[in-house]
Amino acid sequence: MVKSGGITVGVIANPASGRDIRRLTAKASVFSMSEKANMVQRLLGPLGTFAVDRVLMMPDATGIAAAVLRAVQANEAQGRTVWPRVEFVTQELVGGAVDSQTAARLMQDAGAKLIVVLGGDGTHRVVAAAVPDMPLATLSTGTNNVFPDWREATVTGIATALYVTGSVGADIALQRNKRLCVQLGERTETALVDVCVTRLTHVGARAIWEPDTIAELYVAFAEPDAIGLSSIAAMFQLIARDEPRGAYLRCAPNGRQVLAAIAPGVLERIVVDHFENMVPGVTYPVRTKRGSIALDGEREIEFHHGQVPQISLMLNGPPTLNVTATLAAAVNSGVMVDPVVRSVVR
Amino acid sequence: MSDTLNRERLLRAYRTMRTIREFEERVHTEFATGDIPGFVHLYAGEEASATGVCMHLRGDDYIASTHRGHGHCIAKGVDPVGMMAEIWGKSTGSCKGKGGSMHIADLSKGMLGANGIVGGGGPLICGTALAAKMKNDKTVGVCFFGDGASNQGTILEAMNLATVWSLPAIFVAENNGYAETTSSSWSVACDNIADRASAFGMPGVIVDGFDFFAVHEAAGEAVRRAREGGGPTLIEVKVSRYYGHFEGDQQTYRAAGEVQKLRDEKDCLLQFRRRVTADGDITDAELGTIDAEVLALIDDSVVRAKADPKPGPDDLLTDVYVSY
Repeated sequence: MVKSGGITVGVIANPASGRDIRRLTAKASVFSMSEKANMVQRLLGPLGTFAVDRVLMMPDATGIAAAVLRAVQANEAQGRTVWPRVEFVTQELVGGAVDSQTAARLMQDAGAKLIVVLGGDGTHRVVAAAVPDMPLATLSTGTNNVFPDWREATVTGIATALYVTGSVGADIALQRNKRLCVQLGERTETALVDVCVTRLTHVGARAIWEPDTIAELYVAFAEPDAIGLSSIAAMFQLIARDEPRGAYLRCAPNGRQVLAAIAPGVLERIVVDHFENMVPGVTYPVRTKRGSIALDGEREIEFHHGQVPQISLMLNGPPTLNVTATLAAAVNSGVMVDPVVRSVVR
Repeated sequence: MSDTLNRERLLRAYRTMRTIREFEERVHTEFATGDIPGFVHLYAGEEASATGVCMHLRGDDYIASTHRGHGHCIAKGVDPVGMMAEIWGKSTGSCKGKGGSMHIADLSKGMLGANGIVGGGGPLICGTALAAKMKNDKTVGVCFFGDGASNQGTILEAMNLATVWSLPAIFVAENNGYAETTSSSWSVACDNIADRASAFGMPGVIVDGFDFFAVHEAAGEAVRRAREGGGPTLIEVKVSRYYGHFEGDQQTYRAAGEVQKLRDEKDCLLQFRRRVTADGDITDAELGTIDAEVLALIDDSVVRAKADPKPGPDDLLTDVYVSY
């Protein structure tokens, strides 16, 4: 993969997102592979039109990359729109989160200025962990996410192009996010939205859908219109994505009740007996003696008696593309009228 | 909280998985001697699937199995000694030696049978599930099938029917990556078998088939849902088999080291042991005792299977639908 490929954007479409047990325990949407491939195609048009030279894609064995490749060939044959040159990064697929991480590092090495991530909270989390300072354009593939934008890919494509070609500067186009850091012995993990300490001793099917399994919750931000565990905190207090604080809360039978939308279609009564703000950089030891820890809603870590996981809020989370602000800035600066675009030479 | 895995249940899960593994490893060895008639298809590597699902089932729940049925049998409570005798074709076998590996059935245990017909289990389970619904006896039916069967009309028709009638049925697609010798990435038109569920209006989920806890939890929800009248579910278990399609398959279609890597890194028994002993609730010694007991059981089953009598000429016209 050469570095001198012109203005380059990476695209990671996680083939595994949107298939977990929440399709059974909640009414979370099912997002098909072909729809992910369609989303990539909807990105390619605006990226090409607004002068992005090259798109690097993650390969996969489930058909997204294959569908995109067929679409590229069909687009070339028809010659209707200018797409960037599409290349696939060369990597050995092992079938797991590590594939997305490998792809992200290879894209960074190949000079990508931004990576568009199609996936859920989990996909964004693992990509951000692999390339912490890489700007990400976030696209949610499903109804069960908080961190990524739930937005039409075409528009994200336009904003991406405006940023990577320099029409809109990083000071406006990018926003810094917070992250939550989980330390357990030698192991360090990151979450972008929430860390939930559960009473379930095993990671199992990963999701959390029963309120009485929730022991403690740490959130980086809390928005009342969000879906998932962070909405519990939001019922007490709103915490914006750019505020330098988070929240910590503990569940116990004698506290105050809230109703929270902890999964699509699942409104549950949660009893909270302690709520406090999290201060950035301060380490919070987990009080639960044994259980498992969910990162952005998915149980990932089992811990045992004698082990005390430490949670901290950091302000150096991944930079993400603010699509609304980017487009507004572009309009205000006049570049969207009589724009300089690439068109097909006929 | 869904079915809590207490000590007793964890030990039971381990014993079941270990019994399946020991049984299959032993059949693998014995088959090579040429002593066993017919074909055998081994389940080694997939133990967490049958065990994680069947632990939620009652004695009067039904399962339908596949040609790779030994694991489902053991997990549903069929006696391994009778199974071994059946595989040897002996009159003491589960089906009096007339079925062999591919047709082991035990209706008293709710095991409708291993099945030589790829995708044959779907319609059977719609039948038992319809009966359960009409009798309102709160039983469920589980159809195990593979990635090959996921392309068969029978399975697609069964999933359609299960939704239309809102049957207490669970479809467990054990995707071990190969339909005989054809990779599922070549032969399954959609990318995950679970994706097909949405076309039939039922939830479809994917679980890691090497992780007992993942299978157990997902299956628990699906079984609960079916029992309470919530309708059918499709669970795709992503797994692999340690041996060929059948014993004797040279497996030239698999990458070198593919199986060894799985055995070393993902094996369900290995993972399970590591995770349950981590907190000291269960000790290595306890699991070692189970290993020894299971080994003795399987040794004994082989000794008896070899020594037991074959069916005689008089047995030819017994246990058949039409006796001439």
